[in-house]
Amino acid sequence: MRRAVAMRNDVRERRTAKGLAQAELARELAVSRQTINSIETGRYTPSLPLAIAIARFFGSSVEEIFHADHD
Amino acid sequence: MPTTTKTNRAYWVTPAAGLAIGLLYLVGFSVGGKPGYGLIALGVMTVFSAAVALAGRRSETVRGLLDHRDERLAGIDVRATAVTAVVMILAVLAGFVVEVARGHDGSPYALIGAVGGVAYLSAVGYFRVRS
Repeated sequence: MRRAVAMRNDVRERRTAKGLAQAELARELAVSRQTINSIETGRYTPSLPLAIAIARFFGSSVEEIFHADHD
Repeated sequence: MPTTTKTNRAYWVTPAAGLAIGLLYLVGFSVGGKPGYGLIALGVMTVFSAAVALAGRRSETVRGLLDHRDERLAGIDVRATAVTAVVMILAVLAGFVVEVARGHDGSPYALIGAVGGVAYLSAVGYFRVRS
């Protein structure tokens, strides 16, 4: 069985670098502001389609934004 | 999307279902000879439906639970439903045991449990094929 993998991400850094509020990023990605906050704080790992949408929004790959911390 | 005031069709399913259930209550009570209770039940469900629809305009969480456009809130809805199902299963089991202990045949809890079991197995079969 695969072991659980904790995920880190750079969404907050990239969002603030663009000067965007959480609500603005949420509007762009068609999700709630709460979901953006949960992703940024690592409480929620987005689905693959949403992770790809986030990566595309920031002009990066998923691997450049989301990092798996193997136990 | 949850951060705007735009609504989709899914948003109205729960309020509409609330109204439809209220009408069913009215029909049921009327057939049972108590139309007054039916009107009260319809009024309660109408207020509930209106409250839910209005709350969705103010609360991002309620809105997400209604329109299912936010994947995290949709997931929370599914998990909350699963928790509710577990509580209901425990309540049905407890009711069945109490009825059997009283010397009865366990109805209606046995029938409710059987419906739940068939529904679960059918859902597993359906989603196994679909995913």
